Amino acid sequence: MTATIRKGPVVGEGSSAAGGGAVSRSRRARPLITYGRWWWALPAIAMVALVHYAATAGGAVYAFTDWTGIGDFDFIGLDNFRRIFDDPKLIGSLKNTLFLAFGFLVLTNVVGLCLALALNRTLKSRYLLRVLFFMPVVLSPLAVSYVWKFIFDFKGPLNGVLGWVGMEPRTWLADPTLALWAVLLVMAWQTTGMVMVIFLAGLATVPIEIEEAAAIDGAGTWRRFRHITIPSIRPSIAIASTLMLIQGLRVFDQVMALTGGGPAGATETLATQVYKQTFALSNFGFGAALALLLTLIMLVFSVLQQVATRDRSQGA
Amino acid sequence: MFRYSPATAVREGVVWVFALLTLLPFYFLVVTALKPSEELLTTSTSAPPSRPTLENFTEVLSGGGDNNILLALGHSVVITAASIVGLVAFGSLAAYVLSRTTRRWGTITFYGFLIAILLPTQLGLVPLYIGARQIGLVGTMWGMVVLYVGTLMPLAVFLYAGFFRNLPRDYEEAASLDGASPGRVFLRVVFPLMSPATGTVAILAGLIVWNDFFSALIFLGGSDNQTLPVSMYYYVGSLVSAWNKIFAIVLISMVPILAFYLFAQKKFIQGFAGGIK
Amino acid sequence: MTQRGPWRLRRVSVLLAAPAVGALTLTGCGGSESGGEAGGSAAAADGFTFTFENASGGESPWQLLADEYTAATGVEIETQGLPPDSYGLTVRTQLQGGNASDLMMFSPGAGNSNAVMPLAEAGYIEPLGESSTELIPEGNEDLFVLDGKTYAQPTDLVPVGMVWNAGAATEAGVEVPGDFDAMIEACKAVGEGKSLFALAGSVPQNAGLMTMSISATRVYAEDPDWNSKRAEGSVSFADSKGWQDTLQTVVDMNEAGCFQDGAAGGGFDAITQGLTQGSALGAFVPGAAATELAKATPGAKFEVEPFPAPTGADPYMFASPNYALAVNAKAEPGAKQAAIDFLAWAAQPENSRTFTELQGGVAITGPDENLAPVYAPVADLLEAGDYSPLPLLSWPNPGVYDALSTGVQGLLTGQGDIPSALAAVDAAWDQ
Repeated sequence: MTATIRKGPVVGEGSSAAGGGAVSRSRRARPLITYGRWWWALPAIAMVALVHYAATAGGAVYAFTDWTGIGDFDFIGLDNFRRIFDDPKLIGSLKNTLFLAFGFLVLTNVVGLCLALALNRTLKSRYLLRVLFFMPVVLSPLAVSYVWKFIFDFKGPLNGVLGWVGMEPRTWLADPTLALWAVLLVMAWQTTGMVMVIFLAGLATVPIEIEEAAAIDGAGTWRRFRHITIPSIRPSIAIASTLMLIQGLRVFDQVMALTGGGPAGATETLATQVYKQTFALSNFGFGAALALLLTLIMLVFSVLQQVATRDRSQGA
Repeated sequence: MFRYSPATAVREGVVWVFALLTLLPFYFLVVTALKPSEELLTTSTSAPPSRPTLENFTEVLSGGGDNNILLALGHSVVITAASIVGLVAFGSLAAYVLSRTTRRWGTITFYGFLIAILLPTQLGLVPLYIGARQIGLVGTMWGMVVLYVGTLMPLAVFLYAGFFRNLPRDYEEAASLDGASPGRVFLRVVFPLMSPATGTVAILAGLIVWNDFFSALIFLGGSDNQTLPVSMYYYVGSLVSAWNKIFAIVLISMVPILAFYLFAQKKFIQGFAGGIK
Repeated sequence: MTQRGPWRLRRVSVLLAAPAVGALTLTGCGGSESGGEAGGSAAAADGFTFTFENASGGESPWQLLADEYTAATGVEIETQGLPPDSYGLTVRTQLQGGNASDLMMFSPGAGNSNAVMPLAEAGYIEPLGESSTELIPEGNEDLFVLDGKTYAQPTDLVPVGMVWNAGAATEAGVEVPGDFDAMIEACKAVGEGKSLFALAGSVPQNAGLMTMSISATRVYAEDPDWNSKRAEGSVSFADSKGWQDTLQTVVDMNEAGCFQDGAAGGGFDAITQGLTQGSALGAFVPGAAATELAKATPGAKFEVEPFPAPTGADPYMFASPNYALAVNAKAEPGAKQAAIDFLAWAAQPENSRTFTELQGGVAITGPDENLAPVYAPVADLLEAGDYSPLPLLSWPNPGVYDALSTGVQGLLTGQGDIPSALAAVDAAWDQ
């Protein structure tokens, strides 16, 4: 279980690799020694090629057809994509996806960083608190949504508390404006502990001597945070924001379990639409087009995100 | 320098209030699961039970047939453990080779793994299902293991590669110069050293596999090999808002993973206490 | 609710879910029957395999019917109960993978995700004989017949109106409203803490089924062929006075307080709890659920009523076969014959009656002396033939009903208006 100890840093290193470091190692020629055999990688390559690439490519072909999941189909070019952009419902789900992804990214990172800063040093009960804040992370999204459905229920505890202070009960998950926020809250509740751990691992690399020296030199809390802490935890910021962005863009479980995309599509996301079109409504070709669009959006944002974090670290 | 001052005490208090708020859902879980059915409607949803009982737990645990939660728990344990073993074995081998090779194909392949992390599963799901059907893997535990190992392999390779890249190769070189074969070097030298990365892979992948609902629903629905989330989903559906029983099932489904986490937690804390290199 | 209540109510929630679009609603569905191995080629020469939708373990009427057949004939049936959420997907994939069961349960027509006609069109379904054709109720031919060939056999009729808790209504001093104005009055008069209807507003299909019930008198009583006219393109949802009235009725009911507090967020549990505890007097669920509710709540009196007609109009309702049994065209010859034999057996009146009882519907041949007591209020309507098949079944794709359901949900939460909701239904139809 030493594993967990290194979790943060290992993830952090991975991220810098993702940022383009994969090739950056020195290429000293070592003719005498071979490290492993190339065919050791074959099982993993074969599995990824099949499960990810072949399957996805297979699915992507259908994006240009009108296949209903059974029988014959015709290639219809870009008609499916045209339909996506003509459909206000799907534009709405695109907006919801972006709202949830960026809301999730900001909320988890800000709260996670605050928690990590608070629990990094000095607090006596910090170890216990770290355990407590991490607990929601291990739960299944399904279990989490049962609990929150109960809390948000019309006759549930949340309305009960509001009743005490004299406020009207609300149908949280059936309110077109509140439902999306409720989903965001549940997503953030479940994941903030993970972000906290990533930041704690980053903070552990900040040398305390430098911070103390800066404090003695009269640097205030904010300046120390800005000029010592932030640069040191940049890898953590990169990995946490990448992970949260991807997770936010592909959000499915929480939406499906809490609202099913309702009321009247108010919380529908691209991922739930993909599911609905493909599996519930048998519009396989159309669903595949949506999934392809989701993939492209994720690729674009990931690249943008990588570029953004790399530029800043060079500027620092 | 950073000593415990009154301001720190205030900070500690604030964090605790936030922690208690965060943990409120757990309070509702436990309190409701302990309520007898007749109290569900008579007591406030946030009040503790006046007559706590364990009968909800015994009832949901004694469910037979399709509602056999214990059997589903067993399936989940087997599938999760086998998936972790597969990921550790194949993932570490691939990552090791890819991070040690100086050839171009290694870099390209590594990027291939990275991009695969981004591909959403929905697009490939139906082709996968049809393929798995044809070779008889749908509805079986082995099918799920293959699916999970394949799906999570990019993550495992990504994590291992990050680790190996920063692992000094001195020991490997020494062993290699002493005449050990590459296989021996990997098993005797690298394998023991990589346990921190293995732990990360095991925990992250284990969590995902253990909690996965969607692909388990599609691939195992209607079979005898249902996993805990699928079984929980159907059982909960049949309970029609009997929240006390639903939460008893939720708590039962949490226990193994929470226990695993709390067990790992000790090391986790020590790691932070000792400072990370 | 009694201690046994929730357990009995399992099947109710299944019935409520049907006819469903099959979306993963995460509500109201129970565990799956694991009666048999996946894959159908293992059947013995004289046996066959049978796949059906089954949400919860135990009392599937299909399983009971299969058991009866085995007891009567000695023929082994290997059953496979699949969860409703993914039923359509699973069976489609099995058919394409070549390992589907010999006999399969579907929904008639093309309007559901588990509907039989698209599969028949694609050549996966075996045409059936005269004994199956004879069972198809008049006016339902399109749901079972393609190009003059019958592809599926109906089992029983399920009336769709509103399920009414007559006991609780008497207690609350409310009579079954005779027309729509009386109903709006009743909504206002029903008293504190109670509502005339329980609605699962968070489940689009429930809002959809309510809309269906209303459309019976607003659209289809006057024009039973409305669907074929829509298919020809001579009418549309958006321009139809009847559909506008139907959706306006929903809005009026919502404004008059006909639904329970928080109805927009309610799940199926709001219906089962409301009806069994008497806090709601009615709900929009298939008639077969009334039988189950009556069994689950000893002492309560449930009945099926048509939705109140507009003032001055005659009552009208829907009743149609909910299920269609079909044979796999690619089954092994022996198993195929065994499945066809089973259908012939199930078509015989006494066996058909057994299933009707198990399932809680009405005999496929129309109401007879065995009519379940819950249907007493609609017996006259059914006998007089004042009913037509549930319209959504003959709609061209599952998206149409989904669009209607979602649109009505939006009306309840104030997200949309009637013209745009109906326009979306038209758009889904034309896809």
